[in-house]
Amino acid sequence: MSLLSVKDLTVRFGGITALDQVSLELNRGEILGLIGPNGAGKTTLFNCISGVLQPDQGRIRYQGKSLRWLKPHQRAQRGIARTFQNLQLWGTMTVLDNVKVPIDALGKRSLVVDALGLPFATYAEKAANERARAILHVLGLLDHEDRLAGDLPVGIQRRVELARALAMRPQLLLLDEPAAGLDAAETEGLADLLTRIRERFKVSMLLVDHDMSLVMRACDYIYVLDFGKLLAAGRPEAIREDPKVIAAYLGEASAELPGAPEEEAVVVAKTAAQPTTPVFRLPDRPLLEVSGLAAGYGHLEVVRDVNLRISTGEVVACIGANGAGKTTTLRALSGVIRPRGGRVIFEGADITHDRPEAIVRLGLVHIPQGRGLFPKLSVEETLRLASYSGADGENLEPAFQLFPKLRDRRRQVVGTLSGGEQQMVAMARAILARPKLVLLDEMSQGLAPAIVQELFRLLDEFRNRGVAVLLVEQFVDSALAVADRAYVFEQGTVVHEASAKELRRDKGLIASSYLGSAPEPPAAAAHAGGNGHNGHTPLPAELMEDLMLKLPASMLRSLQEKSAREGRPAQALVLELLEERRS
Amino acid sequence: MNRVIRAAGFLLLALAITVPARLDLELQFDAALAVIYGLAILSLVLLTGYVGQISLCQATFMGISAFGTGMLVNTFHLNYFVAAAAGVLMSFLVGIVVGIPALRLRGILLAVVTLGVALVFDKYFFLDSAYGWFTGGSFGWHVSGTHVGSIKVDSLHVMPAYYVLLGIFVLVALAMLRLHDSGSGRRFRAIRDSELAAATMGVDLTRYKLVAFGLSAAIAGLGGALYPLVVGSVSAQPFSFLYSLQFAAFAVLMGIRYVPAAAIGGFFMGFMPVILVRLSHSLHHDIKYDWFQVVLGALLVAQLILLPDGVWGDVRQKLDHLQVKAPRRKVETA
Amino acid sequence: MLIQLEAYTVIGLTVGGALALAALGIVLVYRVTGVLNFANGAMGMFSTFVAWTVIYDPGWSRLRPAFLPEQVWVWFAVLIALVFSVGLGLALELGVFRWLVGRSQLIKAVVTIGILLLLQSGASLIWGNTQYHLPVNVVDPQRSVMVARVPVGWNQLLVMATAIGLSLGLAAFLQWSRFGVAMRAVSDDPIAAGLWGIPVRWVGSVSWMLGSLVAAIAGILISPFINFDTISLTLLVLDALAAALIGGLVSLPLTVLGGFALGLLETYPRIWIQSQDFPKLIALLVILAVLIFRARRVLLEKQA
Repeated sequence: MSLLSVKDLTVRFGGITALDQVSLELNRGEILGLIGPNGAGKTTLFNCISGVLQPDQGRIRYQGKSLRWLKPHQRAQRGIARTFQNLQLWGTMTVLDNVKVPIDALGKRSLVVDALGLPFATYAEKAANERARAILHVLGLLDHEDRLAGDLPVGIQRRVELARALAMRPQLLLLDEPAAGLDAAETEGLADLLTRIRERFKVSMLLVDHDMSLVMRACDYIYVLDFGKLLAAGRPEAIREDPKVIAAYLGEASAELPGAPEEEAVVVAKTAAQPTTPVFRLPDRPLLEVSGLAAGYGHLEVVRDVNLRISTGEVVACIGANGAGKTTTLRALSGVIRPRGGRVIFEGADITHDRPEAIVRLGLVHIPQGRGLFPKLSVEETLRLASYSGADGENLEPAFQLFPKLRDRRRQVVGTLSGGEQQMVAMARAILARPKLVLLDEMSQGLAPAIVQELFRLLDEFRNRGVAVLLVEQFVDSALAVADRAYVFEQGTVVHEASAKELRRDKGLIASSYLGSAPEPPAAAAHAGGNGHNGHTPLPAELMEDLMLKLPASMLRSLQEKSAREGRPAQALVLELLEERRS
Repeated sequence: MNRVIRAAGFLLLALAITVPARLDLELQFDAALAVIYGLAILSLVLLTGYVGQISLCQATFMGISAFGTGMLVNTFHLNYFVAAAAGVLMSFLVGIVVGIPALRLRGILLAVVTLGVALVFDKYFFLDSAYGWFTGGSFGWHVSGTHVGSIKVDSLHVMPAYYVLLGIFVLVALAMLRLHDSGSGRRFRAIRDSELAAATMGVDLTRYKLVAFGLSAAIAGLGGALYPLVVGSVSAQPFSFLYSLQFAAFAVLMGIRYVPAAAIGGFFMGFMPVILVRLSHSLHHDIKYDWFQVVLGALLVAQLILLPDGVWGDVRQKLDHLQVKAPRRKVETA
Repeated sequence: MLIQLEAYTVIGLTVGGALALAALGIVLVYRVTGVLNFANGAMGMFSTFVAWTVIYDPGWSRLRPAFLPEQVWVWFAVLIALVFSVGLGLALELGVFRWLVGRSQLIKAVVTIGILLLLQSGASLIWGNTQYHLPVNVVDPQRSVMVARVPVGWNQLLVMATAIGLSLGLAAFLQWSRFGVAMRAVSDDPIAAGLWGIPVRWVGSVSWMLGSLVAAIAGILISPFINFDTISLTLLVLDALAAALIGGLVSLPLTVLGGFALGLLETYPRIWIQSQDFPKLIALLVILAVLIFRARRVLLEKQA
């Protein structure tokens, strides 16, 4: 019997299936990783487990009991605590108060006693203070106990969330992207912290994060979600090598890339087809020049000291892990957020503090993540709006020639189009507006590979028209295949700049910026393809109970894996082991 | 800082006890009204300031207990204070019922619903002759007053009622200050800052939201229950939704998260009209009550743009900043 | 009895037209800027009093050239009021709501309550809140036509026709004009709209001006049917909210239909029940039911 068992969980939002028949098992004492691209359904799964969302199908069992009818606070009181991707601290309360809320929730304290300040309340208050301080001490937060949680930097807020969750005396801790917004040192510290917490508080954890170095270091076992489906499961070493996982993270092509001989040929063919120096290029003055750019949200400075130069007709890629600051950089360039420092020069004009609508009219078009469309407008209406950014509003022909499909759908409401068609609308608008520079953020997010390839071919179209492109992309290889140059982002700044060709050769650099570097050589690579983990036969309840108490989590997992691999019940394996020992 | 505020609080309390006794009847009457309004604003500090639930029907809660008290005194000839307690209980129950939509709704939608509730009571219940048994018909209830021991309390002798009200206000305010930093208070504030986090950290949203609505209605009802004693009668006009809007406006203006804001707000609401009237007498120039509302509206708009935490909140913050800065300067010179 | 029913239908449709008119401004502003404007009625009231001043205030009516018929002077007054209302809308947007961009919907709504208090008491200071004011009659109140054996006043017809015409006109403007499409784009996603080069701030100003204009039209046309003072028109906002919510705070034609439906609902019971205020209860129960029903949908959308 595992601590948490999720079976065939399905959640639909309207037409979208956020989770599709997902099953997973979490053993007591384990740190289980859950990874996958954006929109893979990780947070949805968390919401189901903590009771914020009711699944459409499937069941969740915790300590052997169904959670179906328990409200969120009842689940919390039974030992399921969580943290949130977009921090949900109680910002106007002190750190100490934040941690005391769950402590109180475990005890029975009444309002009347509190309001009258009866002796019992004073006593309970003292006890709560002591416990809260103990937890803050372990997490190194005692210095901040009297600060308002909302005033703290994100790195510390994340730790406060962790402290608050631990105050719930959890058996199971759900951690939703605890490393988001942390710098490299903090992330490294977090992995150790999680391991320490497991020892100290005897909790099991389910960890979602984009930072692979964290997940690989901290987790005993990893599940990979993609588009709501379980893609793979296995030990960290095995996941790192799993071609399916690499494909999901780095793009389709990468699966067969390492050392692929036809690779060079493609590059050569491409460079032959496109002149690397377009006729329009003005070598002296770049189209866009960014120096010392800093930007962020609220208390958080996300990017700092970013320097970029883009020339006319150039395709430049920004690559780096999630949270490295690529999107924020684009947003600061187009005026969506106000830069806090540095200068942005576009065609010789300082646009650092201009409003977005003014910047667009200069010929800098930003297609944001999620495409920046208006779901309730029709395709035709949407394209007509391009006239606000310099297009001829009446003549939509250039767009329809490039995307004949849109002509058939021009009366359809954009929100009902498929993701690929929506991206076409966004690109068509960029074509119509005849910009000088297009910022493209995660163009391929949520799209099928075939469509992605088509979209990448379109970038050549931009190049042929003398339009420069600054590209942020998950599918690194496809991006590098079309790009001339690339900037590598890490921890909110540009750490590396190189030609695309160079970067494509240097696989290691890219892989480490996305999947994290391997802490040790993969040991005797435990095989773990597909759903090998799911297929195991459960051990008899009493035996498992006993084993769980006595076996360390990692050994238990080995046992389950072995049983799955050999197709024999784990019980048999245990007996075998015991017999070997005896003989 | 806290010591200074506490000292100022005691000083003001001493003034509130001693000064009205020397004033004329009209001002004494206004002092009693000020405390009643203060209780209404206090009820919003609890509900909106602590728990983050919006209500635009606090005057309705006041009205329920005022009418309830009037009815029990007139129809059943109960002792006034027993009737008042029952009236407060009625407010409490109505508050819980009004809180039910809050389990579903948040923010602006809740504001519209509670405003709708205020109007239902305003236009339909309080004024409809069909409910004359509760509202006393079109003339409302007349309350002739009561005796506390041998002291007579009625609309011509408001000082005893004033002291009772002041005592209640001080007790409720102290209880709320205590509540703020207690376990329950933390749970309330957790709901305000993030319902999602509160629910997943073991706070029972249903229970605490309903309790908050009930308690808030009861606090407003405390003022309402003593209203007939001060005024001598109950009619629908003082419980119209315009008063609810004023309570909300004053609470937001003075700092809806802070207990002292209720005292300041109540003072202004109670005395502003009479001050305007007397001012216009002495200036031989007619200053209308409407000026008061014009100024209130303008202040509210300006304050929400400039001082989002309310007069008390922002002033307090500024003072705290001064205090934080002061010792730092000392270190530099040392 | 039959004629009575028809007469009540006419009254109901007039009330409904009035509610619909008052609701249109609320929907327009909410849809584009996300501000639920409690001051909508007060804004209309203030503009209507501007027209009233031009017509009845001796200082102003003296200016009327002798050859100009009184009715034409009334139209001139209405024109001035409408220009005033546009200015009022612009002033509110520039002076208040532009500074609240990014604040919560609730804060913005509380600000509109402040504006409500300001305008309502300001109006009573200027025009007095107790006395009876002569209404602004855009058409001759005595004239009527017979429809199905019931006399229907011209001003009643005007309210109904304007409600329908204005909603269709505004809907067409939003649907087909370039600026209308831009307004819808802003309401869908203001940040993205900025990236498309749409002048987001100007769109906000225009929607406030339009909202204020519609509120003024509503106030002027409704004034003959109510006890025209500073309070009644201000309070109409709540009944109007019910109609607006039936349209989901989005659809203009549905809002008008909702207004008519509510008007009939408020009126028909009067045939049998001799209570003035009971019908109000229906409107308020509709508000509550629609709100709670809609809130469920809003919550579901949020989760997705």
